Amino acid sequence: MDERTFERLAQEYAGRLYSVAYRMLGHRADAEDAVQRALLKCFAARASYSPRWAVSTWLYRAVANVCIDELRRRKVRGEQVDNVEAAVLPPPAGHRLDLTRALEAVPREARMLLALHYVNGLGYRELAAIRGISVNTVKSQLARGKAILKQALQAGGHDGSD
Amino acid sequence: MDRTDDTLREFFAVQAPAGLGRRLRQALREEPRALDALIDKFHVEASERGIARLLYGRGRDVAAGRGRRHAEQARQELAEYLGGRRTFFTVPVDLGGIGEFQERVLDEANRIPFGQVTSYSDLARRIGHPRAARAVGNALGANPVPVIVPCHRVIRGDGSWGHYAFGGALKTRLLELERTTPLLVGCASTRIVCRRGCAHEQRIGEQGRVVFASVADAAGVGYRACKVCRPRDAAA
Repeated sequence: MDERTFERLAQEYAGRLYSVAYRMLGHRADAEDAVQRALLKCFAARASYSPRWAVSTWLYRAVANVCIDELRRRKVRGEQVDNVEAAVLPPPAGHRLDLTRALEAVPREARMLLALHYVNGLGYRELAAIRGISVNTVKSQLARGKAILKQALQAGGHDGSD
Repeated sequence: MDRTDDTLREFFAVQAPAGLGRRLRQALREEPRALDALIDKFHVEASERGIARLLYGRGRDVAAGRGRRHAEQARQELAEYLGGRRTFFTVPVDLGGIGEFQERVLDEANRIPFGQVTSYSDLARRIGHPRAARAVGNALGANPVPVIVPCHRVIRGDGSWGHYAFGGALKTRLLELERTTPLLVGCASTRIVCRRGCAHEQRIGEQGRVVFASVADAAGVGYRACKVCRPRDAAA
């Protein structure tokens, strides 16, 4: 893959990668830094890219890897996601606030799958390829994460049912 | 598909900040600040028992007999560490000739996990001398094998770097490197999770690498811990 093609791809996916990173890290600057680091890693490894792999899978896995490792570091430092941003930005209204809090209670792997699924509409197979897990694990993790968010919506008085 | 899906889809959609694409393009055009090239600035002194000193600047390796093997191993592991391909050292160190207090300090410094930092006073507390932060600083300053025994992971309580034998700029770059190097890497085909730098991890192809935040997270999605590098010991 040549430089120009990669730049075009980076431009095309930047917004979606950012959305995933933001929902994982809860902080704008950290999300942008994560996207940048992920793209730089892919750029450095572009010679080993195989067209057998979907470009989207490659890029999403890179950003997922960076975000997950950043969460590991935060866990060790005992930081709470969203704390910094919450202090700076006006609080989101209604169910957004409930969901932001509820998302923190969702286990990391399930949270990552939720973000990839809802930001990009990715299917089970692609999610499984991105995180290197089985399709059945994807389904169970998504169901688990969604149940936690749904419970938060209902507790907040926002009916999420049919 | 229910209303929850619509709500979640709306919630997860985030507006990217203005100028993101331009900033990313610019970042791709900048030269990466690779540390690999610094390997030539390091040289080691090795005894039969292990690495006795690690020096930075001009000089050459000093080793004889079995020490030569230790020196070669140290050089290779250092190169991998500086290249972001290793998070731990297995080369033996020879700390003979240092005092008991310094040995305890260095032993405790060696327990600070990759990518984390602690303060001088915290380290003093951990070795049972809570009022000896300054003495701990002196003991770390005289660390004969910096980087391998990671005294760069000890900083002042106010967050500033403090003294570093190889200079503050290098301490910054080492901490930056550790901040951007993942610790736990899983292999998508074998479903085994290793520490970055394990011989098994180094065989994972670029497209089979999955990073995890903990061994428990990896186990939750069907991965098991490597029996060689034992990642559970390195990441809680």
